[in-house]
Amino acid sequence: MNDKVRDPREIMRDEMLMRDKVLAILNDGPKTVPEIAEVMDYPVSEVMYWVMAARKYGYIEEIKEPTEDDYFQYKLVKNE
Amino acid sequence: MNYDILVVGGGIAGMESALTLGDMGYSVLLVEKEPTIGGKMILLSKVFPTLDCASCIATPKMASTFHHSQVTTMTYSEVDDIRKTPKGTFQVSINKKATYVDFDKCTGCQRCEFACTVAIPDQYNFDLVGRRSAHIAFDQAVPKKAVIERYGSSPCSFACPVSMQPHGYVSLIRSGLFDEAMEHILKFVPIPGSLGRTCSAPCENECARGELEGSLPIRQLKRFASDHYYEKYPKPKYGPPEEILDKKVAVVGSGPAGLTAAYFLAKDGYKVTIFEAEDKPGGMLTLTIPSYRLPEEVVERDIENVTALGVEIKTGHRIESLTELKKGFDAVFVACGAMQDTKMKIDGEDLAGVVGAVDFLKGVNRGDKIDLTGKTVVVVGGGNVAIDSARVARRLGASKVYIQYRRSRAEMPAFDVEIEDAIDENIEMQYLRTPVRFTGKDGKLAKVESISMKLGDPDESGRRRPVPVEDSESSIVVDLCIVAIGQRPDIASFADNDKSKLTRWNTLVVDSTTLETNIPGVFAGGDVVSGAATVVEAAHAGAHAAEYMKRYLRGEQFPGEPLQQLLPVVDRNEVLKRQSEYRTLNLGKRKELPPRERVSDFSEVELPFTDDEARYEAGRCLDCGGCSECGQCIVACQADAIDFTMRDEIKELEVGSVVIATGFELFNPSRKIQYGYDNIPNVITAMQMDRLLAPTRPYNTVLRPSDGKLPDNIAYVLCAGSRDCQVGNELCSRVCCMYSIKQAQLIMGTLPLADITIYYIDIRAFGKEFEEFYQQAKQMGVSFVKGKVARIEEGDNGNLIVQHENIAGDGKSERTEHDLVVLSVGMLPNQDALGLLSGGEIEADSYHYVKEVDEDHSPARTSLEGVYVAGTASAAMDIPDTILHSGAAAALAAAHVERVKK
Repeated sequence: MNDKVRDPREIMRDEMLMRDKVLAILNDGPKTVPEIAEVMDYPVSEVMYWVMAARKYGYIEEIKEPTEDDYFQYKLVKNE
Repeated sequence: MNYDILVVGGGIAGMESALTLGDMGYSVLLVEKEPTIGGKMILLSKVFPTLDCASCIATPKMASTFHHSQVTTMTYSEVDDIRKTPKGTFQVSINKKATYVDFDKCTGCQRCEFACTVAIPDQYNFDLVGRRSAHIAFDQAVPKKAVIERYGSSPCSFACPVSMQPHGYVSLIRSGLFDEAMEHILKFVPIPGSLGRTCSAPCENECARGELEGSLPIRQLKRFASDHYYEKYPKPKYGPPEEILDKKVAVVGSGPAGLTAAYFLAKDGYKVTIFEAEDKPGGMLTLTIPSYRLPEEVVERDIENVTALGVEIKTGHRIESLTELKKGFDAVFVACGAMQDTKMKIDGEDLAGVVGAVDFLKGVNRGDKIDLTGKTVVVVGGGNVAIDSARVARRLGASKVYIQYRRSRAEMPAFDVEIEDAIDENIEMQYLRTPVRFTGKDGKLAKVESISMKLGDPDESGRRRPVPVEDSESSIVVDLCIVAIGQRPDIASFADNDKSKLTRWNTLVVDSTTLETNIPGVFAGGDVVSGAATVVEAAHAGAHAAEYMKRYLRGEQFPGEPLQQLLPVVDRNEVLKRQSEYRTLNLGKRKELPPRERVSDFSEVELPFTDDEARYEAGRCLDCGGCSECGQCIVACQADAIDFTMRDEIKELEVGSVVIATGFELFNPSRKIQYGYDNIPNVITAMQMDRLLAPTRPYNTVLRPSDGKLPDNIAYVLCAGSRDCQVGNELCSRVCCMYSIKQAQLIMGTLPLADITIYYIDIRAFGKEFEEFYQQAKQMGVSFVKGKVARIEEGDNGNLIVQHENIAGDGKSERTEHDLVVLSVGMLPNQDALGLLSGGEIEADSYHYVKEVDEDHSPARTSLEGVYVAGTASAAMDIPDTILHSGAAAALAAAHVERVKK
């Protein structure tokens, strides 16, 4: 992937494609957005959209306290 | 009059005017273009200088407006036109846009939104996160009802003859919902496995992605869905319908048209029997299409989708008389195809070794022992049947295979991919060439004598007519010639026995709407009516006929209302304009067996997608129509509220007076290129920051969009797009200083350790308690730097370098690092307001706001008596001023109504 910022509409359209990848990564344990991006090999700013959409639609949630370097970790929401 | 007053716009100004007028006893129609009222105020975190919660103030006002006995609220609607009448009232045209959700049933549960497979930017969160095509704007929306955003029919869906809504199954595959994709397809046809391999795919020709790196491989995606499903479910998951009706239908022919008609009739409970003349069902699918293109087991599984419903197929049963058949059934559908080879009518055609393509292919598919090892074969024709014949001959061992076609490659009706594959298999194409006679010895073919052709004027089909070239004859020594110049129905008995009307092409004559023949209750479709066409066109005929046959069988008015049309197709150019630029993607190469390997047997040539490949290809979809019509919302909605038959409605009304409360636009910071808004993720607008601070925020707290980090050094750039002649907006927006200070205070509450710097030209704290609010921010530690920001650059780790003047310091240019920059964007006029009235009677001021003709003595009065302006449609102002102004507009509107009534 190149570093050029893509049109948000294009990134968000990819959400449906990327959500399963994000969830699969978080299945191994909580991670920050940059950590997820590193595994996915996608720009962090793009992964941010997909992580926040997964959070918005109830697939994942944040761990309450941020890490020492000021990032939140996200984890899968356990369905009761 | 239908209403005393029309209020255009449901923001704080519109709501305030409507409530005031409603309380005065006037009947009010409030029209809002969004699916919810509340305007921009409901999206704010808090208001200045009191720091009261914006939602806590706006939400009750929204509810009061919506439930007011004198106020009718029409959301998701746009005023198209307002015309003043001679008596002083106004005629209004309103487009009530289809929501595709029955508001009376919708409970606001959002299940449709969670199930929706189309993600688009959430404008209510200013694109910080995505939302769905099916959506409720936000939690406090009033009315809290879902709407489905559809811009029209996606070009692929519009092009599909059976309206299979390819966009729907593409979006389902993209989401990894493979079973659902197949179930979506099964709503439209019972033969997806066959269509996934043989469809002419007109959808792909219309795909907007074709304007970029290439169309989506929609046909192959359909095949992927069916392969995946058939492997998982070797048998259909369903059985016959619970209720079987006391009506019987006969279908003649078990090809794509017959199977599809039977499928839809049986689904509705009709008892269907298919009569097939051949020994096995499937028509062309099993009889002539070679198994390297369409394996027999795929067709068999497709057919099981039909027979699982209780449809009986009687093979080896040729129907000679439709009237006789009709006596035993309530209706008949004739779909016996076009299975008779067309003759060339040239010398030598009766020689042994000259065969028709259908006869040849049927023999091969039937399992006849045909060995062409070392033989030379000539195929005549340019359609798919010709290509099939040539490739089959190659697989039967022919050492040399020619295709002679009387036009050029450009006119060849066969699928491009089939032509390419044939060439790859070493089949020699002889364009602009056609046999003139066959010669032989002892009754057996020996030579094909041909002549060259050139293209003349277009014929009635629009293709250029081939004309023989004199003295250009030549011959080929051959063992077999396969004539594939067309097929026609074999229905002479229907004409003889039933007096069925036939065309000069020997096809059945039917009513073009109902597909009923001249025999009442006997319908026909597919190749027997159209002549040889595509599989998908035949399936369409079956589905179409089934609809009218049901009407006939129910004894309804016949033909009755036309079948509902699709929404108008979305313009591909408009689709492409939605993005500033596109990243083109690598096209997946079509996977197929190598030519040398594949000609050795009848193994399927085209190889299937893997799951990842299918999702990648589906992920290239541009969601042209908005909603993909995948139907997941219908499945999810327990209230049965989704209704895709809804259409926009135009309402024509008369009102006594009009209040324009259309609000303002925000400056688009992309216009200040030096601020990097389009390219630097951590440069955001103040409206985006307000969303991050609001209770319904898109993130879990204030985070950097670039990486989700908690920012600890935030800068505000004031006058971004206001007081700026370079962008044509010299006005002060009056609110930016104070909302920035408000946000600074709120951030200090949310992120206590964060440093905040506000770069300003001068702070305008002119209102009640504004100065105190400003001083309070200073005391809290907000740093104010007097100086215009010249440029913002991205540094390491997403941090930003802000280059600015420091006028209060030494006046030099400085570079300061921050980790998030907020552009305090200005307000601009919403010029939509100026086009509301026919003839442009509403004057604009020199800044393009609605002009108040007597601002000092009679605010809210416009250039047209009876039309008044409320709030920021007239000028930039804050919320308290907007409320005051709205009251003035309401009073003037009421007075006008009283005058009109007299």
